[in-house]
Amino acid sequence: MAYEALDFYDIDALLTEEEKMVRDMVRDWVDKEVIPNIEQACHEGVFPDKWRVDLGEMGILGAPLKGYGCPGLSYIAYGLICQELERGDSGVRSFASVQGSLAMYPIWDFGSEEQKNHYLPRMASGELIGCFGLTEPDYGSNPGDMITRAEDKGDYYLLNGAKMWITNGTIADLAVVWAKLDGVIRGFIVEKDDSGFSAPEMTGKHSLKASVTSELVFQDCMIPKDRILPGVKGLKGPFSCLNNARFGISWGAVGAAQSCFNSTKEYALSRIQFGHPIASFQLVQNKLSWMLREITKAQLLAFHLGKKKDDGTWIPEHISLAKMNNVDIALEIARMSRDIHGANGILDEYPIMRHMANLESVKTYEGTHDIHNLILGKHITGIQSFTREP
Amino acid sequence: MAIGVLLKQVPDTTAKIGVSGGRVDESAVSKWSMSPYDEYALESALKLKESSGGDVVAITCGPARAGKMLTDAAAVGADTLMHVQIDGQDSIDSTQIQSVLVAALEKAGCEVVFCGKQAADTNGGSTGPGVAMLMGASCVSHVSEVSADAGGYTALRASSGGAERVHVSAPCVFAFDKGLEELRRPNVRGIMMAKKKVIETVSPEDLGVSMGESRVTVISHSPPPEKPPGQKFEGADSVATVVSKLRDEANVI
Ligand SMILES: Cc1cc2nc3c(=O)[nH]c(=O)nc-3n(C[C@H](O)[C@H](O)[C@H](O)COP(=O)(O)OP(=O)(O)OC[C@H]3O[C@@H](n4cnc5c(N)ncnc54)[C@H](O)[C@@H]3O)c2cc1C
Repeated sequence: MAYEALDFYDIDALLTEEEKMVRDMVRDWVDKEVIPNIEQACHEGVFPDKWRVDLGEMGILGAPLKGYGCPGLSYIAYGLICQELERGDSGVRSFASVQGSLAMYPIWDFGSEEQKNHYLPRMASGELIGCFGLTEPDYGSNPGDMITRAEDKGDYYLLNGAKMWITNGTIADLAVVWAKLDGVIRGFIVEKDDSGFSAPEMTGKHSLKASVTSELVFQDCMIPKDRILPGVKGLKGPFSCLNNARFGISWGAVGAAQSCFNSTKEYALSRIQFGHPIASFQLVQNKLSWMLREITKAQLLAFHLGKKKDDGTWIPEHISLAKMNNVDIALEIARMSRDIHGANGILDEYPIMRHMANLESVKTYEGTHDIHNLILGKHITGIQSFTREP
Repeated sequence: MAIGVLLKQVPDTTAKIGVSGGRVDESAVSKWSMSPYDEYALESALKLKESSGGDVVAITCGPARAGKMLTDAAAVGADTLMHVQIDGQDSIDSTQIQSVLVAALEKAGCEVVFCGKQAADTNGGSTGPGVAMLMGASCVSHVSEVSADAGGYTALRASSGGAERVHVSAPCVFAFDKGLEELRRPNVRGIMMAKKKVIETVSPEDLGVSMGESRVTVISHSPPPEKPPGQKFEGADSVATVVSKLRDEANVI
């Protein structure tokens, strides 16, 4: 049956014709390509290469970036793309987030003219895959203390260190890697064939199984001088990428929640216990009503944030609030959906358990739930509580 | 050369259809889409344009909501969009629609016309032959592929139990079946271009057509009978029964 997206407050009416067309294009693609194949992809632990090709052909990678062969869409359109992709699976949205917001964006914003011309058109078309290396085995929430170092050797940079939990790492053609050069965090473009670079895949995940997660290992990795991103120094570099990806996640989480809600509503109406559909029981209705309420609030939050991104009146804390809230409610909705589906809820016949397991990662990456609380705590009080040092 | 493609917006084949008071309740249709066979007609017209040149003119006759479908057609490559806006399609018969479509095709200068073999809502199947007759054109139906050559067009069509290749010259109408090719998807670039395309919206009067009276009245619609529940067979003993049911009842083998 045709997918009917939950849109209780008619946010559709606030979208432009173009935004709706882009949304519908991605929605159709997810229905035809992702949903029928996602369970197998998860089972095999692969991100099907056809999806890379399709995403490139649709022209949605790096959605809000302008020029250099990038789509130049509104942030609202970018959000809608994320929402539809994550309705399919968080892993598909992760691929697009990393490619667009974490790999293309830093080149677009901080790269040289040559770097932009060299990489961006082929990344927008999906020909080249990018990844983003910030997290290290010992430094997750506080990347500022990262160990990975770059040394200036005159003719080249020498990179040493390791990154972990890197989405797309093993399948990437290039990695945007953050490393310290003379104690200052800088961005470097590492290509897959650079000597001293390897990207072994991490296995054994119970979450985001259709997304590739890898280590990046640099052992005297030599990279040419023109691969440093000239336009940024310090944590501002990686953080500005994260802002865009987190924005996308705040929409994506709505998609995952909508998928759970739809499955749950249908299931509750058709499942008969004690002689009546379980949807007729007040306790179940209370849960459905809570889901409707939280999805609607999350949609309004995402939409308004999109408007602020488009008109430039946003601050990073706005994004923290939306990422934190929307992933939080999506995960809670997935758990509640699992409950209403009873035993069936654990089967791969329904999308529930997959969304639930995926959202556990989404809650942690791009700033954990509580790190966003701390960001907001600092915003409210003016007192940072990340570390005990002043 | 202008290639006319006739498109109809119909309830999506996956949308729930409700009948109330003996009529399909259009207001309850959750999703409207381009009729599936029309999609193949459009795809083939775009292919023909790519191989042999020309402009693809997408034409629809329908209420205001159908305009969106023309923009969708532009997103995959239609060059010119024409919308003959009429309301209350229910009380208009197919001959009236065909006379409007022929006038639109004439206005757009189309001597080659692509359409679906039937619309997914009415299953009428009269548009292709009817338009051809009014145009004085040849009509090839159940087509899956068209190519241009010196002096005309070659169409591949399904004949009973096989395939047939026929050659016709313009003016001609091709009514499409499901084609062999995969349908193209829109992309962002196409959507951006489509947004800038103007839809020429006209009325039958603008085209100089006086519709006259409908000679057909739809008496009522009724939903299909409920499907009988599925049957389940288990064990090796049931193979013969299952095979005979598949052959004689389901007609699938
Ligand atoms: C599937 C997946 C894909 C990923 N993809 C990428 C990628 O592409 N690129 C990349 O660079 N990284 C990626 N990551 C890494 C991700 O960003 C980190 O996991 C995240 O930043 C959290 O770091 P951590 O796992 O080291 O947890 P930790 O930082 O060790 O946190 C553990 C717990 O402690 C809490 N905590 C930490 N500090 C404080 C504090 N000061 N006060 C209160 N609580 C605190 C956290 O909230 C959390 O609950 C990915 C992770 C996953 C799971």
